[in-house]
Amino acid sequence: MPETDLVLFLEAAVRLGVPLALAAMGEAITERSGIINIGLEGSIIGGALGGALGALATGNAAAGVLAGAGAGLLVAMVFALFSIGLRTDQIITGTAVTLGGLGLTGAVYQARFGATGTALTLPTLAPMSVPGLSQIPWIGSALFDQAPTAYLSYALAPLLWYYLFRTAWGLELRAVGEAPDAAQAAGVRVRWVRFWATLFGGALAGLAGAHLALAHAGTFAENMSAGRGFIAIAVVVLGRWNPLWVLVAALLFGAASALQFLLQALGLDLPYQLFLALPYLLTLAALAGWVGRSRAPAALALPWPKER
Amino acid sequence: MTPVLASLRGLVRRFGSVTALAGANLEVFGGEVHGVLGENGAGKSTLLGVLGGVVRPEEGELEISGQPVELRGPRDAWRHGVGLVHQHFTLVPSLTVLENLSLGRDAGASGFALPQTRVRPAAERMMARTGLSVPLDELVEDLGVGDRQRVEILKALLREPPILVLDEPTAVLTPAEVDSLFDLLRELARQGRAVVLVAHKIEEVLAVADRVTVLRRGRTVLTSERGGVDPHRLVRAMVGEDAATQTAVGLGAATGGVVGEASGGLLAGEVVATLDGVRANRASGAAALVDVSLQIRRGEVVGVAGVEGNGQRELALLLTGRLSPPAGVATVPDGVGFIPQDRTVEGIVGEFDLVENMALALHDDPDAGRGMWLDWPWIRQEAEAVRSRFGVVAPDVGARAEGLSGGNQQRLVVGRELRRARDLLVAENPTRGLDVAATAFVHAEIGRITSVEGGPGVVLLSTDLDEVLALSTRLLVMTGGRLLEVPEGSRTREGIGRLMLGGLQPDV
Repeated sequence: MPETDLVLFLEAAVRLGVPLALAAMGEAITERSGIINIGLEGSIIGGALGGALGALATGNAAAGVLAGAGAGLLVAMVFALFSIGLRTDQIITGTAVTLGGLGLTGAVYQARFGATGTALTLPTLAPMSVPGLSQIPWIGSALFDQAPTAYLSYALAPLLWYYLFRTAWGLELRAVGEAPDAAQAAGVRVRWVRFWATLFGGALAGLAGAHLALAHAGTFAENMSAGRGFIAIAVVVLGRWNPLWVLVAALLFGAASALQFLLQALGLDLPYQLFLALPYLLTLAALAGWVGRSRAPAALALPWPKER
Repeated sequence: MTPVLASLRGLVRRFGSVTALAGANLEVFGGEVHGVLGENGAGKSTLLGVLGGVVRPEEGELEISGQPVELRGPRDAWRHGVGLVHQHFTLVPSLTVLENLSLGRDAGASGFALPQTRVRPAAERMMARTGLSVPLDELVEDLGVGDRQRVEILKALLREPPILVLDEPTAVLTPAEVDSLFDLLRELARQGRAVVLVAHKIEEVLAVADRVTVLRRGRTVLTSERGGVDPHRLVRAMVGEDAATQTAVGLGAATGGVVGEASGGLLAGEVVATLDGVRANRASGAAALVDVSLQIRRGEVVGVAGVEGNGQRELALLLTGRLSPPAGVATVPDGVGFIPQDRTVEGIVGEFDLVENMALALHDDPDAGRGMWLDWPWIRQEAEAVRSRFGVVAPDVGARAEGLSGGNQQRLVVGRELRRARDLLVAENPTRGLDVAATAFVHAEIGRITSVEGGPGVVLLSTDLDEVLALSTRLLVMTGGRLLEVPEGSRTREGIGRLMLGGLQPDV
C-alpha cells in the first residue's frame, strides 16, 4: 500500500474522530451525573449553525467556535429545564430536542440564506501544525496537523479524567449519577450538579458542531450533523464513561468512517455503502462484546427526585 | 445552664392519607443524649427527618440555637450543624468507603483538592477513637449491613456536628460495638453537643439517654428525665394505656430481660434441608463458608449468632436455593420462606402495591392459580390476611409498599414469608426495625409455626443475641465461615460472645 494512502487515512480518521470525541466526552460527563442527553444531536446541529452564523458575523472562525459552543449550551439548557427542572422523561425529551433542533436550524438557515441551497462560504478554522510533533512518521501529521479543536479534545480527555476521579467535584458528580438520594443526604445539590453537567455536555457538542461547519466542511448544510449525536452516545458506552477511553473510542470510530477512503484508494471494487455502514456495525459489535462487562451509572435516565 | 440547641414545636406532616406527625414536639439541650421512643409508624423517623432537613413539615416551628430556621434540604441541615444518620442507608454503593466518607464535605471551597487524602487520616483517627472499624478502600456494595451502618455513623461523626441525630443506629451492631458507640455518644454530649437517638430497644435508650421523648401516632406523649421513668411507664406511653396490658409479655423479650428456651421444637421431625461439607466463596474469591454441615428438621429453630459478615449471607443464599456451592452438597426444599436482611432490596418492590408484593412470593403456590393465570382475588385475600394479622398500617392493600414506614414494610415481609414457609423459613434479623409489640409478635409467630404438626424448620440468622437466645432450640455460632455448636453450658450472652470473638480472624 502506498505510504501516502495510509497517512491520508490516518488524517481522515482523526478529522472525523474529533467531533465525535468532543461530543462524547461532554456526554460522558453528563451521563456520569445520571442524565442521558439524547438531544445531543440537537446541540451539535445548533453548534454548527451557531458557529457558521458567528463566523459570518465576525469574520473570525475562532469567534464562530465560541458561538457554536454557546448555541450547543442553549439547546442543552432546553433539555435540562425540562428533564431536570420538570422531571420529564429523558428519552422523549431528548428525542424532541433533537428533532426540534434539526428542524429549527433548517428553518433559520433557509430564512437567512434562502431555500436555493447556495453553498455558504465560511471563514474556516485552518489546521495548525505543531512544530516537531507533526514530523513524526506516519502519525505525526494525522495527530498534530489538525484544527485547534483537535488539540482541545486531546487536552480535555486527561483534564476531565482528573476532574472525575481525583477531585471532590468529580466525586460529587459520580455520586449524583449513582445514588442521588445518598448524594443529597451528604449535602450535594443534586439538580444543580446535573444541570451544569448537562450544559457542559451541550457546550462540547456545540463545539463539535462548530468544528464540523468551520474546520471540516467550511459551510453549513441542513442535517449536517448526520447522526453524530447518536454515535457519540454509543462512543460513551464503548469508552465506559471514562474520558480517556472515550477519546480512544472516538478515534476508533473516526478510523472506521475513514476506512471508506482507504479502501477506495486501494481500488477494492465494493459498494461504498458497505463502508458507510461500518461504524454502525462496529457500534453493535462493541456493545455486544467489549462493553458487555461495563456498567452505566446506576441512576442514569431516572427522573429525580422520585416523589414530589 | 445548658442551652436549647434545637426546638421543634407543633409539627404536622402527612404522606398521602397517612398522618405521620400530628403535632409533635421535641426539645434538645446541648450536653444531653436524648432518646426518642415510639412504635412503628409513631412518627420517629419523620420527626428526625424534619430535624435533618429531609422532611419538610406542613405546620410547626423549628428553631436551632434559638434562631427560627427553615431547612430546605440536608445541605441546609448540615450548615446549621445537624448531622443525621439515616435508618435506611444513604451510601453510594459503587463508591469506596473512603469516597463515601469524603462526599459532600466542604467541596465548594476546595473542589480541586484530593478529598480522599484529606479524609483518610481523619477517618482513621475517628475509627481508632470510636472502635468502629471499616475497610476504607472496599466498595460499599461489597459490605454487609453491619459495616454499612458503621460507615453511616462514621460519615456523620466525621463532620463533628453540634447536633447529631441517629435513627436506629444499633440494630445491626454487635453488643460490644453498641457499648462503644454509646460511650462515644456520651463523650460527644460531654463536649456540649446534643445527641438525638432512636433505638428500638427501650433498655438501650435508657442505658444511654439523659432524657426521653415518647411519640404515639405522631404526637409527643411524654418527655422526661431518665430518672423519672421506668420501662413499664414508657411502654404504656408508647402503646397507650389500654393496649399496655396486652403487650406486657413482649416487653421482657424485647428489653433483653428474658433468656431461655422457646417452647417449640420439642417435636423436631423429618429433615427438610441438609448441607454436607459445603464451601462457598465471596465474589472476591475469598472463602465465605468453610466445610459447613447442617441438618434442619421440621419444628426446630436453629439460631445462628455471629458478627455480620462471617458467612451468614452465603448460608442464607444457600438455604434459599440462590447459590449452588462449588464444593459439597446442599439439599433444600421447595417451600422456603425468606426474610432478608434488607427488605428494600430483596423483600419488596416499592412501586408495587401490597397485593402485587404478595403475588411475588406466592405466585408458585398451588392455590395461587393455574398455569400462567393468577387467582388475584385469592392473592388479595392473602394480602388482607397478612395486613390484618400482622397489623400492617396501610390505607388498604392497594397502597404502594414504598409508602409504608420501615417497620410496616417489615411486618408485610415477615407475614408473607411465614405464610410461604411450608418447609423452611430462613430469617435474617427478622425483627430489625420493629417495635416492642411487633417484635414480640414475630417471635410468637415463629414459635407458633414451629410448634404445629408438620410445621417448617427455621434458621434464624441474627446479630441480636437476646433474640437468638430466646427463640432457638439449637444454637450455633458462625465465625470465619464455620458453624460452631454452642454447648449447653455456654448458652449465655458471655458464652456466645466468646465463641463469636474466637473466630474474628478466619484461618483460611
